[in-house]
Amino acid sequence: MPRESFQQELDSLVGEVLDLGREVGASLENMVKAMETGDAELASRELGVDLRYKARGAEVDRDSMILQARQAPVAGDLRLLYTVQSVTNHLVRSGALSEHICHALAETAGAERDEDLEAALVEMARTARNIFNEGLDIFEHRDIDRARDLQAKDDKVDLLYSEAMNLIANPSDSGAGAPEWRMRAALMVHYLERIADHGVDIGGSTVFLVTGQRIEDAMRQYLERDINRDD
Amino acid sequence: MSEVSEERREARPGAGSSPGGGSTLGMKVENLSAFYGSFKAVTDVSMDIQANKVTALIGPSGCGKSTYIRCLNRMHEVIPGARAEGSVALGQQDIYAKDSDPVVIRRRVGMVFQKPNPFSKSIYDNVAWGAKINGFRGDLDELVERSLRQAALWDEVKDRLKESGYSLSGGQQQRLCIARTLAVEPEVILMDEPASALDPVSTQKIEDTMAELKKSYTVVIVTHNMQQAARISDFTGFFYIVNMGDPGRLWEFDDTEKIFSNPERKETEDYVTGRFG
Repeated sequence: MPRESFQQELDSLVGEVLDLGREVGASLENMVKAMETGDAELASRELGVDLRYKARGAEVDRDSMILQARQAPVAGDLRLLYTVQSVTNHLVRSGALSEHICHALAETAGAERDEDLEAALVEMARTARNIFNEGLDIFEHRDIDRARDLQAKDDKVDLLYSEAMNLIANPSDSGAGAPEWRMRAALMVHYLERIADHGVDIGGSTVFLVTGQRIEDAMRQYLERDINRDD
Repeated sequence: MSEVSEERREARPGAGSSPGGGSTLGMKVENLSAFYGSFKAVTDVSMDIQANKVTALIGPSGCGKSTYIRCLNRMHEVIPGARAEGSVALGQQDIYAKDSDPVVIRRRVGMVFQKPNPFSKSIYDNVAWGAKINGFRGDLDELVERSLRQAALWDEVKDRLKESGYSLSGGQQQRLCIARTLAVEPEVILMDEPASALDPVSTQKIEDTMAELKKSYTVVIVTHNMQQAARISDFTGFFYIVNMGDPGRLWEFDDTEKIFSNPERKETEDYVTGRFG
């Protein structure tokens, strides 16, 4: 096939992004475990990953720019390089948010907690992690049918977000937990909601990669098609 | 078979404004086929060529791009045994109608070739010659200056108009040929790989010239340089041959932005991304 070396460079770049995604996924796994078990030591081990992920992201951006300058990509190649940079940004941001949460967990170790709020946080963390992993898997396998379902899964995160915020605003009688922990919990709720959004956006970027359409346009067409069918 | 978006289908070649004076026309091609004797080189091309836009034609060698473009001003039929079928309208006029004079058509639809081919005359006469033999009765000096300015050559030759056209560089000679084409005040300019024999600087000047030209003319360009097509054109047609020996077809035709970001057909994608072959 012509342009073999260019294809190898593209494959290698995608490989870099997937490796970065798996590492961020491992960080999210540790975050969830630290949250589930109250393991401050595990949370502390995640501190510092943010800088590493940012450096890796900068390498992907640089490699992508060099390929654009040297290979003048168009059509599917151009969409791939655009998507690689977009997905990388979502991965790096997710890694940073995971570290912020681990930092909060480590700093509030031993602080009194609201059990209901903590349960909501753990459920939210598991769901956000799953959405992130699914988004990355969709990108790896270009499985855009699943991208259309990811938005529905994110709705669960939004419900948990509302529930957690309600518990923060209206503490249960059984115990409100330490003020510092409640304050950090409010931030963690926000960070988890963002991680889930990044996972959804990775799926959406894959829709653009495969079809050239923004996921919003693809979704609209899909919905309009269903309406017509009902008619 | 051509693939054109709905918006593109709705657009019809019409008159545009021309700063040089008259109106600029688009062209409408329907079911055009071109033959060399019994060999069918191009089949069933339909295409709306928009006024005041640049339309680029790309595709592998031997797929009929140059044959097709030569059908747009009846140059194809000057080759013995060559003929075209189908219809080509310049504005409302069918250029293949019995009462259409091919000489007049070739004045209204000018052509610039791959290799610069100035006459062995002065720079001035190269530009003025076509207008003179077409009975031009206006201010010839003004026409020569205007044509050379439109071809972005005036500043480089204004002090040496009496020198031979051959004294110019290759890039300047090509712009002289463009000026020569403009001097007979065509409505459409056809360019068959106009920059393929030029260095990058001269190529850039030709491309800059084309951006200006489309304000006053309709431009159709054949190019093998896909980045050039992406840079300068508004619409792009991809010509393709399915099997060796088959006639060339217009495989996909759409906005240039669409062709180079998200083409409809796999063969187009393979070609523009360099995966062809």
